[in-house]
Amino acid sequence: MNDLQAKDEIRLIQEMIERTKKITAGSWMFFLVWGIVVILGIGGMYALVSIEEFSWIWLNWVVFMGIGVVFSIVYGKKFEKLEGARTYANIATGHVCFACGMAFILVGFIFPLLKLYSWGLIPVLISMVAGILVFTLGGIFEWNLLKWCGVIWWLGAVGMIFAHENYRALLVIPLLLIGYIMPALVLRSMYQKQRDENAS
Amino acid sequence: MHPEKFEQLDPVIHSRIRLAVLSILISVKEASFNYLKETIGATDGNLSASLSKLEEARYISIKKAFKGKKPLTTCSITEKGRNAFSAYLKALETYIGFKK
Repeated sequence: MNDLQAKDEIRLIQEMIERTKKITAGSWMFFLVWGIVVILGIGGMYALVSIEEFSWIWLNWVVFMGIGVVFSIVYGKKFEKLEGARTYANIATGHVCFACGMAFILVGFIFPLLKLYSWGLIPVLISMVAGILVFTLGGIFEWNLLKWCGVIWWLGAVGMIFAHENYRALLVIPLLLIGYIMPALVLRSMYQKQRDENAS
Repeated sequence: MHPEKFEQLDPVIHSRIRLAVLSILISVKEASFNYLKETIGATDGNLSASLSKLEEARYISIKKAFKGKKPLTTCSITEKGRNAFSAYLKALETYIGFKK
């Protein structure tokens, strides 16, 4: 063995570790589906507010969050099988998503159902939790774009306080497009590029 | 050349495929045989032989199961393997640092 071979071995180690990180790019589907589910949830909520059926808002969130949870469980199992490895980043991601999912359920419908606060506060709290989720995922993936998306969610949450209660839910939609759907699409293109690279 | 530096290199790890396997397993909780094969770009035979050697040294543990009708081999690194990999990496870094 010589100096070149030693450097070559270090390069090999780095390359293999980098390849295991690529798995996380495949999680774009979770982002996209959760983004769509929340947009639909907000649409439903806005419709209920428009017809002044405030008492059904919690059920609206139960339905859409339920769809998201069922999808996450089913696709999560399939995703793990497809990728063939459980990285520590993926395990941490699963825990963070579960924790934030629970927080969404609590602030989105259990607390309002218990009348701890008015429905008008739901979008603010949802945006705050979304910021925590996206920022933390940015840390796990070592991806600055996601961290900035987290900051955008928090700024949006603060901005919403100054908007009229009836329009707060609608303000979540641009936040979702910028802070959720956009990174999902970037992840998707990264994943497809990786797949093409692996195939060639 | 400083041959005394290379005496520290573990012969079990000192092979391209075995080093690649440990590098992957150090960063994941567990990985399937197919995942390792695709990521490293090794043949079934070469990878099997390398995994057996690492398992003999108790650097990795191998679980064999069935998922439906398909066999599923899953590998994970042991504490002993983790320590050996860390020592190997240290030895490589020391050598490169020494040459600088």
